[in-house]
Amino acid sequence: MIQFLIAPDFPPQYFAGWHLLNTRLQRKTNAAIHLQTPASPQEEQALIASGTVDIIYANPFDAAQLVRDMGYLPLVRPVNKPDEMVIATAASQPLQTLEDIKPDMRVLHTENRDVKLIGLRLLEAVDLNEGNLQWVEADAFQAVARHLIDGDAEVGFFLASAYQGLSSLTLNQLRTLMESKITDISHVLLLHPRHSAQQEKLRSAFLEMGNDAAGQMVLEDLGLPEGFETLTQEDAEFMIDLMETLLD
Amino acid sequence: MRLPQMPVPELPHRQHELQFYEGFTQTVYTTDEEKQFPDGRLIVSSTDTKGIITHANDAFVIMSGWEREELMGSLHSILRHPDMPKAAFKDLWDTVSTGTKWHGYVKNLRKNGGFYWVYATVVPNIRDGEIQGYTSVRRKPSRSKVAELGALYEQMLAAERSAS
Ligand SMILES: Cc1cc2nc3c(=O)[nH]c(=O)nc-3n(C[C@H](O)[C@H](O)[C@H](O)COP(=O)(O)O)c2cc1C
Repeated sequence: MIQFLIAPDFPPQYFAGWHLLNTRLQRKTNAAIHLQTPASPQEEQALIASGTVDIIYANPFDAAQLVRDMGYLPLVRPVNKPDEMVIATAASQPLQTLEDIKPDMRVLHTENRDVKLIGLRLLEAVDLNEGNLQWVEADAFQAVARHLIDGDAEVGFFLASAYQGLSSLTLNQLRTLMESKITDISHVLLLHPRHSAQQEKLRSAFLEMGNDAAGQMVLEDLGLPEGFETLTQEDAEFMIDLMETLLD
Repeated sequence: MRLPQMPVPELPHRQHELQFYEGFTQTVYTTDEEKQFPDGRLIVSSTDTKGIITHANDAFVIMSGWEREELMGSLHSILRHPDMPKAAFKDLWDTVSTGTKWHGYVKNLRKNGGFYWVYATVVPNIRDGEIQGYTSVRRKPSRSKVAELGALYEQMLAAERSAS
């Protein structure tokens, strides 16, 4: 049985979509593949450490460890689906731009480290950092939105795809202060090195996912209408180098 | 090896003769026009081990003012601003060539003589244990840090001038 782990930062409405995609993947590869959907980054890390993860849809932050330390092999990445983040406030707050965020304000965030990291890098421009802000953790991006609207913090960090997936009722009560446009960083699909003989077969299965109408629907339901493209070893290494520059 | 020649700016400008590490001298022009770092973006470029540009993202091309074709294959010192002390770049090269990450504030020159400040990180691209080239990612710098470093670089430049 092949274990396929999906990083826990996808919006809840995509849950069924990942299962449908996995069904198609099994049909295309004639393999039994079990989907793992850990609820938190800790749970995800424990599964990775246990050595049982065969295929992983990893966020860029974790890709470094997976590729460089554990030898995971690159398969594909989603086309035109970069990981971006949004810094927002409640519409009822006076803040209009990043410059209006001041030291000691409270920032709502989730456990998602990529989002926090990129958010911190964008706030450097206005002399804010981890130490001069107050950090309030929420368990999901929906909760970040709810607490922002309730006035529990002045600022919230979101994965852009999760932010755009909020209901319009919620979005109407929020104000975007900044949206990143980095474009070079995305989630990636990686394969455990013990399956290197399957790399091309699995890569083709993902590349061909949108070749028929039903597969295309699954991709659209997952917010990946353009499907996947080949991720080379150098593509993966380049993205990891880029993440490295953002660590400090 | 030379760099593409800057056109003479339309705005009031100063003229400088810059001596480059590779041994050639070239005329550059500077104006007081500052271009702001684009919000939410990163400016990314890569070079080979000799500092020749091999990759540039769109933000890099736009901020530099040069065409992509003019940048690719050119030395990265195409962005060198005369207000930057030599010591800053010596430190950059001494650091990254030993496989270590470098951070610093840099004032860059645009094709039209204008300038833009960045906070740059340079990492070596290590593949199979060897440095294959370097990648730099620039973020929007804070105004207070730019003021601080601008003053420091002025002193360093003055010291470099009186020493030569
Ligand atoms: C990846 C990388 C990025 C660089 N980025 C810049 C830059 O943005 N601006 C700059 O003036 N020099 C940059 N440099 C340094 C230049 O290669 C060069 O050393 C510098 O412009 C000074 O010119 P000189 O070495 O001829 O004295 C970079 C070097 C590397 C390896």
